[in-house]
Formats: sequence, structure tokens, C-alpha cells
Amino acid sequence: MEYGKNISVQNAKLWYGDFQALKGIDMEISEHSVTAFIGPSGCGKSTFLKCFNRMNDLVNGCKIEGNFKIGEVDIYDKATDVNELRKNVGMVFQKPNPFPMSVYDNIAYGPRTFGIKKRKQLDEIVENSLRAAAMWEELKDRLSKSALGLSGGQQQRLCIARALAVKPKIILMDEPTSALDPISTGKIEELCEELKSTTTIVIVTHNMQQATRISDKTGFFLMGELVEYGDTDDIFNAPKRTETERYITGRFG
Amino acid sequence: MIKTKIKEGISKALFAIAAVLCIVAVAAIFLFLITESFPAFRKIGFFRFLFGETWKPNVDDRLTETPTGQYGIWKMLAGTLVSTVGAVGIGGTLGFFTAVFLSRFCPVKLKGAFYAVINLLAGIPSVIYGFFGIYVLSPMLGFLSPNGSGSGVLATSIVLGIMILPTVTSLSKIALDTVPKGYYEGARAIGATHEQAVYRAVVPAARSGIAASLILAVGRALGETMAVTMVAGNAVNYPTSLFKSFRTLTANIVMEMGYAGELQMGALVASGVVLLLFVLLIVLAGQVLRGKNGRQRNGKKRGIAAVERWLYQLKIEKIGKTVCWASAIFTGGVLFFLIGWIVVNGAPHLSWKFVFGNYSIVDHASYTIAPSLAATLMTVAVSIAISVPLGVATAVYLQEYAKKNSKAVKIIRASIDILSGVPSIVYALFGAITFKMWLGGNVSILAGSFTVTLMLLPIVVRSTEESLLTVSDALRAGSFALGAGKVRTIFKIVLPSALPGILTAVILAVGRVVSESAPFIYTMGSSIQPMPNGYRSSGTTLAVALYCFAGEGRYMNEAFATAFVLILLVFCLNVLAQILGKALTKKWKGEENGVRKKHQRAKR
Ligand SMILES: Nc1ncnc2c1ncn2[C@@H]1O[C@H](COP(=O)(O)OP(=O)(O)OP(=O)(O)O)[C@@H](O)[C@H]1O
Ligand SMILES: [Mg+2]
Repeated sequence: MEYGKNISVQNAKLWYGDFQALKGIDMEISEHSVTAFIGPSGCGKSTFLKCFNRMNDLVNGCKIEGNFKIGEVDIYDKATDVNELRKNVGMVFQKPNPFPMSVYDNIAYGPRTFGIKKRKQLDEIVENSLRAAAMWEELKDRLSKSALGLSGGQQQRLCIARALAVKPKIILMDEPTSALDPISTGKIEELCEELKSTTTIVIVTHNMQQATRISDKTGFFLMGELVEYGDTDDIFNAPKRTETERYITGRFG
Repeated sequence: MIKTKIKEGISKALFAIAAVLCIVAVAAIFLFLITESFPAFRKIGFFRFLFGETWKPNVDDRLTETPTGQYGIWKMLAGTLVSTVGAVGIGGTLGFFTAVFLSRFCPVKLKGAFYAVINLLAGIPSVIYGFFGIYVLSPMLGFLSPNGSGSGVLATSIVLGIMILPTVTSLSKIALDTVPKGYYEGARAIGATHEQAVYRAVVPAARSGIAASLILAVGRALGETMAVTMVAGNAVNYPTSLFKSFRTLTANIVMEMGYAGELQMGALVASGVVLLLFVLLIVLAGQVLRGKNGRQRNGKKRGIAAVERWLYQLKIEKIGKTVCWASAIFTGGVLFFLIGWIVVNGAPHLSWKFVFGNYSIVDHASYTIAPSLAATLMTVAVSIAISVPLGVATAVYLQEYAKKNSKAVKIIRASIDILSGVPSIVYALFGAITFKMWLGGNVSILAGSFTVTLMLLPIVVRSTEESLLTVSDALRAGSFALGAGKVRTIFKIVLPSALPGILTAVILAVGRVVSESAPFIYTMGSSIQPMPNGYRSSGTTLAVALYCFAGEGRYMNEAFATAFVLILLVFCLNVLAQILGKALTKKWKGEENGVRKKHQRAKR
């Protein structure tokens, strides 16, 4: 069975121990789209996002129910290989987390994980990934330097390049710009626009303007529920639910 | 993909096996202590043993018959406690003020060098301190002593005090350095002088760290064996006056275990158990202190408050600067003198022939330390080769695989904590009774190596765990999110990031093997032997060789030269640890970061 670029979720429920963080969520995400998750802190955006690459598996006492499909693959099926899943569904975190190694090795980490060893092939992947993240010109002369010497914005874009190196079908981003300055933020938003042609992007953001700037669809979460989900224009111009309206006009949260 | 699965499974199994082996070793020591001491406790009677005033063992006493000798350790217990109190009084006070000096009063230029010297001294073998005690301190004190002999309670307290000085200083300094700037600045802002701000704001804020350093020092003083044996006089007496010859529990064990009878041996192990109980008390006290500090804040502990009041009445901040300088000068002076004494006396007798030359047992004029050097290296090789892989793998299992808060893990961690505080003489007992016996009943380099391996295990596990904890979870998540499995994440991300810490731990472990002596005497041999021809030969490590030379008193030149070699070795290990740590940190943290840090430093 093939991993696709579309996500389909029915009745997703999730518990951390006794606490229910997701209370039955349905969502369809189509391929080559940018989808934004918004909502007040603690409403379950990150939790829901991490269901797509099963990062919640790492949390002790986490229990998940529901139907999660990526393309044709039922990702919580027993036969599903988590590592294979994560190869297809990449992730970028809130705080840039480059590995303490060179720029080159950071990007080659993913491909090497999946058995690519030839230097030539790796060189090509590194260059393509950096180009895709619009960083090649910036970094081509310092590939062997430690990635920890880069600025925060560069580190975050490097993490995107690193995720791209394994050719994922979907990229999950959890508030990727919240630790960055406006200029770096702008660069990453531009990047999302470009990546849309090759991947599906799901992004969690606290920044309403960002959601309107880059996303096609927006989901509004509140206390573990998906209150409203639809075209970004509709959500921000004509919200159907009062909670959504109150949130986007900044009256709570 | 199936291949990856198999790899994951095998690796996990290997880590788990290491952890189990390590736990078995830990359990074996506890089990040994219980089974060996219990019959003796029963035969002698717990209270008669603990509070009995007479120690007159009879070598023929068996565990099965009514004892004819007397086995009361009360006098020696008193000796242990008194010398520990004395040591902490001397070393703790000096160490505290030296730490305050280092952290707050020391001229910047002097700071690095002084701190480096203090750290170096923390690694110096205890036999060197004992050697210093016999030939410098005791004769000096002899002039003051009414009975003409300088050894006894005072000499022991001073030697132990000097031994714990570096530990107290170095750890207290770290505690003082990590007090947030706001405390000091806040005090200055309301008009306090530098001295007032340091003593009234910074020192109280560092209280728990300083207390922890003192607790560690107490543990070290309680368990020290060889240095004490060299200066205590060792008559079984109450430690009632400063120059009285007395005996501690550890000295008693090392002096009698070589020829102990059945019941006597049991009693010696039982006194090891008593020592262990004290260590346990100390660990608990430390945890209570640490726990208190979290909740504390408003309700200060009464004892500490009383001491503080007393210090304020003394107007400590008025004389604080002077006291600090005086302590630091004294500490520096003593340490400088100690090293100088050995270098000046040792260097002239150091020759290529003495270190590497052929050893002959008949020709006393041509003693060399080549066999001891070989034995030391052999011991280091075996003990590191076993303890490091086993210890690191155990730490990885505990940190990366085991459930974080499960009871089993907590119990294992607590046991390892306790083991790392067990006096080395207790390991010596274990080694002499088990390893030596398994290996045919004769002392051998192998038996000594195994014994010290056991001692290193808890150290390696603990420090590796600490290094693993410093690796951020964000890196692990980053690796998993790229589709890497657990094994790859551990080997490519976690372990490399923790490498500087692990390597430092390994070097410290090597230092520990080089400087230990008590665990070797009855497992490896206590007389200098010709070149070992394998691990079944007996032999002495350098530290034990120094003990032999110094103890006989006829080979002073050899003793000095050996001490010099030992200090040189410790020094090299220290430098190596520093260089490696720096190089690796630079590699991982990135050069540009390093450059940025330098700029910041320059600006300040
Ligand atoms: N590992 C965990 N264990 C227990 N509870 C958790 C865990 N992670 C999250 N939670 C809880 O689940 C709820 C949802 O958390 P989540 O991180 O998904 O929120 P979020 O919408 O991403 O918030 P934010 O905007 O602050 O990132 C919160 O109440 C949080 O406290
Ligand atoms: Mg979140």
C-alpha cells in the first residue's frame, strides 16, 4: 500500500493517562494544500498534529483511538512500520533542533538512515534539499561547519531542508516561526508557498495573519475539539461559530 | 525493514543484558555483606558488637562454636566518628572559605590556575597524603605532643581534612558560582558592601550546594583507609586526646583481614556493614536536605539558622575578606608545599632505570617500579574494559529504554547511589573473599582488577546517566521524526552528544584505579614483586608500592620517586580530561559559537 499526500481522519480520540486531549475529531486534508491549525494554548493542536507521524507513541501513557489514513495506509495498523511512516511524514519543530554535527551530516542523516551510503548520491540530495529550502547559496561554502553555528532562522530552515531530504509526502510544522525574527519568519512562509507544489503542509500557528497569508484551509480547535474547519477565507471572513469569531477577533484565548 | 527490526531487538536485548549484569553485581555486594556478616552478628550479638568496648579477636573462633575472643567495635566506631568530625571541621571550614575566596574574592588572573590546582589535588592518591602525614605532619606535631609522638587523633584529622579540602572547595565553588546574579546585585543595590552581599545574600543562597559538598566530604572521611592507617597509631583506644593513638573501623579492617579467623572475618565484614549504614544515613541526609531546599524558603532549618546567627554576631562580613584570603593562602600553601615536597625529593631519584629498569628481588639497591607500572596498566586495562562498556550500556538502558518512573528503576538507581558511596575497603573485603577464592585462593592482578572494576561500575553508570540527561529531548525527537529507530538515535545522536561527559568519566575512573590502594592489598598483593608474567601473577600497583616503600621506612628515595610518578600520572590524566572535554565541546557546539563566546568574554 502506498503513502499518499492526503490525510483522512475519523473520530480521533486521544488520552494522556486519564486526561482526554482529543475528543473525536474528523478531518480531510487534500494533497498539495497548506492547512493551518489555530486555537488557544492547550487546545490540542500539537497533539493532533503529532498523531499524523505517531510521535505520540513516545509519550508514556498515551492512548489513541480512531481512524487515521495517509493515502491508502492506515497508520495505526499493527503492520505499519513507524519509521517508514515518519519517512513519508516529516516534521519541523517549534524550536530549531539541528543535530550537533555539520550542515552536511544534518541533511544526510535521514537518507543515511534509509541506507543511502554513496557519497555522490548524498551530495546530490544535500544540494537539492538545500536548494529546495532556498539555502544553497547561503550554505554551500560551509557544509562542513557545525550546524549549531548558524543563526536561529537559518537553523530552522536547515531543519526544513533536513526533513525534505527523505522526500516526504507530507510535512508537519508545529509553530515553526514562533522562535524567530520577522525576516526569518517571512522566509519560511515563502518556503511554504514553494513547497506546496511537491508536498502537503500542515502547520500549527498562533499567528492569525500567518494563517491567512499561507494557508488554504484552517481548522479552529478548542478544548480538544475541532470547532470549525474550512477554507481559510471563510473562517476569517465569515466564521460560522461564535467561538471562532471571538477567537479570531482576539476576544479570548 | 525486517533487518532494522532485528537490529533494534538485538540492541535492546544487549543493553538489557548489560543492565542485568550490572544489577547482579550490585545485588551480589549487598548479598555478600548480609550473608557474611549475619552469622557473626548473631554469634556476637548486635549490641555487644556495636557497643562492646573490647576488641580481642581469637583467630580460632569459628562461627559454629561459642566465641572465646571479644568483638566490640565501640572504641573504633568512636575513633571513626571523632576523626571524621575533626576532618570535616578542619577541611570543611578551610574548604568553605577557600571556595568563597575562589568564587568572589579571587583576582581574575589567579582564578583559573588556583582552581585547576584544587581539582588536581582532588585526584591525588590517599597514600600520598598518608605519606605526607607520616614524614612531615607527625614529626612536626611531635614537638607539641606531651608523649612525643605526633600521630593520633589530631594528625589523622588534619590529614583527612587536607584530603577532603579539594572536594569541599571545588563543589562549594560551583554552588557559589551558580547563584543567580540577582542575589548579589540586589544586595548591592540596597547599599550592602561587597563582603555583606557575599556573606548575607550569595552564601545563604548556595547553602544546599555547600551542604552537599560537606556531606560528600563526610562520606570520604568515614571511608578513608590507607592514609588513616598511616597516621592514626592504630592502638584500640578511645580517641580522648589529640595525640592519643587510636584506631578507626577502616584501619581495623585493613590491618586484620589478612590473617583473620572465621568469626573475626565475619566481624570485619560486619563492621563494613556498619560503615555502609553510615553511608546510607549520609545519602539520606543529603536527600532530605535537597528535598527540604525545594520547599524550604521561609522555614529555615534551626541548626543552620543558629550557625548563621553566630556568624552574624561575629560580624563575619567585616572579617570575611581576611578570613577568605587567609584560608586561601593556607590552603594554597599546604597544597603547594605537599606537591613541592614530593617533587623536590622525588625528582632527583627519578631515573629511566627506576621507572623502566629490570627489577631484582635480591638486589635491594636496585628496586624499580617497572613491575608496579605494568601491574597498574594491566589493572587499568581490565577494569576499564569491563566497567566502561557495562556501565555505559546500563546507563543507556536506564535512561533510554526503561520506564522513567517505574519503581524498579528507582530502586536500582538508589542502590547504585549507595554503592558509589561505599568505602573502598568494603570492596576489598568482597574481592578478597569472592574473587580471590574463585581464582584459586591466591592474590592475583586479575582478582584486584575485578575488585576495582566493581568499584568503578557505579561511578561510570552515574556519570554516564548524568551526561545522557544533558542531551536535549528535542534532538531525540528530531531523529525519530526523520524515521530513525531507537538504536540509530542512541548511537548517532545521543551517545555522541554525551561523549564529552562520558570520556571525562572514563578518565576519572582511570584516575581512581591509579590512586586506590585499599582494594588491592589483599586481592593483588602487598609486597613488591618482579615483573608480572600474566594476570595470575601477584603484584602491586604504584599506589600500593608507595605504601610499601613508605611503610618500611628504609626506601625513602624510592618512595619519593614513586610518589612523584603518581602525581605526574594524575596530572597528565587531568590535563587529558581538560583537553578532550574542550576539543569535543568545540566540535559539537560549533566553532562559530566558540568564537562568539570568546567575544562575549572579551567584552566583559
Ligand atoms: N505528554 C503529555 N502528557 C500529558 N499531558 C499532555 C502532554 N502533552 C500535552 N498534554 C496536554 O494535552 C493538552 C493539549 O496539549 P497540546 O500540546 O496539544 O496543546 P497545543 O494546542 O499545542 O498548545 P500550545 O499552543 O500551547 O502549543 C494540554 O492540556 C496539555 O497539557
Ligand atoms: Mg503546541
